[in-house]
Amino acid sequence: MPFRRMVQRLLDLPLRRKLILSFLAIIAIGGILTLLVGTRIEHQTIISLAEAKVRHDLASAWMVYEERLNSLRDTVRLRARQEDLREALGGSDVAGVSGRLDAIRREFGLDVLNLTDARGRVVVRSRSADAPVGDAAARDPLVARALRNETAAGTRIVSRDELLREGDDLAGRAWFQFVSTPMAAARPEDHEDKGMMLVAAAPVIDDSGVLLGVLTGGLLFNRNYDLVDRVKEIVFKGEKYKGHDIGTATLFQDDLRISTNVLDSQGQRAVGTRVSREVKEAVLDRGETYVGRAFVVTAWYITAYRPIHDIAGRTVGMLYVGMLERPYIDLRNRVMATFVGIAALCVLFLIGLLSFVARRITRPLAVMVDATGKIASGDLAHRVRAESQDEIGQLARAFNRMTDELSLAQEDLTQWGRTLERRVEERTRELRDTQDQLVVSEKLASLGKMAAGVAHEINNPLTAILLNSHLLLERPGLDPGEEEALRLIADETTRCAGIVGGLLDFARQTPSQAAPTDINDIVDRTLQLLEMQASVRNIRIEKALDRTLPAIEIDKNKIQQVFSNLAINACEAMPTGGTLAVASLMSRDGTHIEITFTDTGVGIPKENIPRLFDPFFTTKSFGTGLGLAVSYGIIRQRGGTILVRSVVGKGTVFTVRIPLIPPREDKRIEEAPL
Amino acid sequence: MTKPRKHRILVVDDELTVCKSIRQVLVGGDCDVDMAQSGEEALSKEAEQPYDVLIVDLMMPGLSGMDLLRMLKARNPKARIIMVTGYPTMRNTLQAMQLGAMDFLPKPFLPTTLRSLVAAALAAGDDEAGGSGGAG
Repeated sequence: MPFRRMVQRLLDLPLRRKLILSFLAIIAIGGILTLLVGTRIEHQTIISLAEAKVRHDLASAWMVYEERLNSLRDTVRLRARQEDLREALGGSDVAGVSGRLDAIRREFGLDVLNLTDARGRVVVRSRSADAPVGDAAARDPLVARALRNETAAGTRIVSRDELLREGDDLAGRAWFQFVSTPMAAARPEDHEDKGMMLVAAAPVIDDSGVLLGVLTGGLLFNRNYDLVDRVKEIVFKGEKYKGHDIGTATLFQDDLRISTNVLDSQGQRAVGTRVSREVKEAVLDRGETYVGRAFVVTAWYITAYRPIHDIAGRTVGMLYVGMLERPYIDLRNRVMATFVGIAALCVLFLIGLLSFVARRITRPLAVMVDATGKIASGDLAHRVRAESQDEIGQLARAFNRMTDELSLAQEDLTQWGRTLERRVEERTRELRDTQDQLVVSEKLASLGKMAAGVAHEINNPLTAILLNSHLLLERPGLDPGEEEALRLIADETTRCAGIVGGLLDFARQTPSQAAPTDINDIVDRTLQLLEMQASVRNIRIEKALDRTLPAIEIDKNKIQQVFSNLAINACEAMPTGGTLAVASLMSRDGTHIEITFTDTGVGIPKENIPRLFDPFFTTKSFGTGLGLAVSYGIIRQRGGTILVRSVVGKGTVFTVRIPLIPPREDKRIEEAPL
Repeated sequence: MTKPRKHRILVVDDELTVCKSIRQVLVGGDCDVDMAQSGEEALSKEAEQPYDVLIVDLMMPGLSGMDLLRMLKARNPKARIIMVTGYPTMRNTLQAMQLGAMDFLPKPFLPTTLRSLVAAALAAGDDEAGGSGGAG
């Protein structure tokens, strides 16, 4: 599933990226939501502000309209009171009145200023002095009302006939060919020939209050732009936005634009176009005020429309004001852009902050990962700095503890490994020694038997030789030559006796006089006896004795014999001097006491080592070759052993191992079998 | 006491050369030295006429030195016997001493050693003889 694969890929990202990504996702979601809601609120706020303003502007525009109406009414009413109108209605100086009315009409910018008689027939038509008069104007409801002695003013739709009576130019101004407008409601006709006019009518009365006639003033809105431009001037102060007028105003006759300052695409006032069906239905059909966004001719506007009623209350047209939407949209876009810009800055800042925080979080982890790698590759001394008190600090401390224990465990293991190695070595050596000893023991046993016999047999002749040679020597008057020969015989016989004695010592295992003894005392005594001889031979003696060793059951004379034998051998191995180091210690397993004699002498060739303890084996020109064999016998009898390690040219180590507990009694050999 | 009689010494050893050599060392002066080459011979000679000191080899075919010692001591507890052996061991030394041997001399030995031991044995016998008014 691609979605699951994508999720997996996200989960496989480095921790820091994951942190940043998830925070970014949160920021993005929050930002987008805020942007959407903000945009909406902001748009509504701006639009509703604009709508409130346009509603207010519409009210202002309406005031301009009403003011125009009021000023028209006041003008007409005041003029109606002038003396010359009464005279004219009385029949005198009609032409003069007509001229004066025309002057007023021009001054006030009116299109129509007519005088009718008390029956409503036109007497003076000031617009054109030579136009026909006498037609009835009483159909005009405003005139009708003035004939009832009231001043009236209002908006009126004027038919083409009436306009034609006032002048062809007015009818021409009012006439519009419809410009096709896509959103307008359908109408059966394709043009408009009526006009919309602002009309005021005031009665002309004589001094006694009798109605003499009516003065009627009118202003045709069609293609008259004074009002809309004045609205633009007053309400919008003529403000422009990028070359376009911000504010526009329009007068509608029905749904037809008859006076406007909205321009079409050619820059002409867009008269002849019509309002949209939506607005038409709301304002013209239902009589409501419409406020909203609308597409007017070429652009979007925020618009307000209100109905214009005639004196009878019928809706005859509309007043429109509109503000170009563009500035508001641009304002909104600017606000949005600022908003987005600030949001983007915030996101950038947050990303920076995030990567900093994420790094703070992940860096210790990276350190931990690195440390784990180092430890995995064997660097157990590596530690992590644990500064912070948070979970990561705790992790680091726990990690260090773990590493401590790991290194301790490893040390233990290494130690164990070494111990094991040494033990294996020791055991192997012991095993080999044991095998050697078995061979030696067998040799010893048969040698013991032989020695007894040999000693006996040889001692008899030796006795005879020794006694007789001495007897001869005792004789007085011996020739010096003879005496020397006899002395030689006696001495050599003595030497033979010594050899046989040694052999017997070796073969004969005398019972031990065992008593609890401190082995260090024996070492001390042995070395003391040796000291003089050693110092003469330029040999230094070093002692390293473990004074805490327990006393053990041994025959101290025999053991001393062994020790002096080994010490003397060591000294003899160092003819030019050296160091004899003697140490005593407890064996690692606590079952044996070990005494080592280490010399820096000539060493023993490898091939000689197996024969070292053989009786009569000697490399020396003197001695019987029985010393080591006897020593060995003594230590074996006590249940111990003597080990040798030697490097030619470097020296030799003899190790005497004596078990703390002696072997059982019946195993001791008291006497060689006879 | 008139003229002192000669001391009688018996050397018992299966090796004739040893017997002769010992006799050569001790003969002369106031000693008569007889020889026996076996325990049996020694017993019969001793039975004829007792000796002052007997020098007995421990290891002999037939009756051994130790047996001879035991029998001589049984016959005469005051018999002065010096044991000689070519193979001295702690055990036989102790045994001989317990059985009443005067001394125990390992072979080979010097003439002076033997003479001093024999002299000591004879002196002990003289003291005893003097003290008790003489004996057989």
